[in-house]
Amino acid sequence: MTMAPGLRKFVLTAHVTSSVGWLGAVVAYLALAVAALTIRDAQTVRAAWIAMELTGWFVIVPLALASLLIGLLQSLSTPWGLFRHYWVLVKLLLTVFAAIILLLHMPTVSYFAGIAAEMDSANLAGLRGELLHAGGGLLVLLVTTTLSVYKPRGMTPYGWRKQRKESSSIPAPPSHHPDYPEDESTR
Amino acid sequence: MSQTHLEPDRGSTGSTPRWVKMFGIIALVLVLLFVILHLADPDRHGPRRDTQSGEPGGQAPPIAQGVQQP
Repeated sequence: MTMAPGLRKFVLTAHVTSSVGWLGAVVAYLALAVAALTIRDAQTVRAAWIAMELTGWFVIVPLALASLLIGLLQSLSTPWGLFRHYWVLVKLLLTVFAAIILLLHMPTVSYFAGIAAEMDSANLAGLRGELLHAGGGLLVLLVTTTLSVYKPRGMTPYGWRKQRKESSSIPAPPSHHPDYPEDESTR
Repeated sequence: MSQTHLEPDRGSTGSTPRWVKMFGIIALVLVLLFVILHLADPDRHGPRRDTQSGEPGGQAPPIAQGVQQP
């Protein structure tokens, strides 16, 4: 499956936007958890939980799912493939792992946000867990971003088999990647 | 440099790259650490524990700071 250059650029832009947006939203979420833990004021803690719940459900979850789905679409429509290169495979596994943990954790965030909304005192329970989850998520997203930029070498056994099959059927494989300009790929 | 990282790799050997092995080990250690920290967290509460107590909200005792809502 291949895409027209214009559509490919659009999908690439959507993937970068959703991924970077996801990372930025996690940083904002982490800032809320840190503020609640350090200020320890009842109103701040309550506001932080409510903001974290809203940010989680309406920003982080949609961006995470969009990033995953657009990334799948993009990898399957370019010569990189989904299982051919280790960096793509590692990125996929990390993104799926982060999305699963996020979806499993969000009901807990809603639970604590509900408790915080009803209480008159500062409830710090659960905030340390938020630091752990948001910090871990940020680490995973920084690793996936780094992998996307550096694209470390290495083909999977599946990638090698596909390459051998394609090189035996296609006399002259393309020497550059269609996502990048000619002068960069042949430098 | 005959080949940049901007294109699919066609020139390396078929063995698993060292960075993948190192990454796998580090990822395994971090996941184990995450699970241990998660299980050891005294604040680990949530919807799942509600069913054990039958008391909504009873599983997350607040750390009251004496700050009252205006």
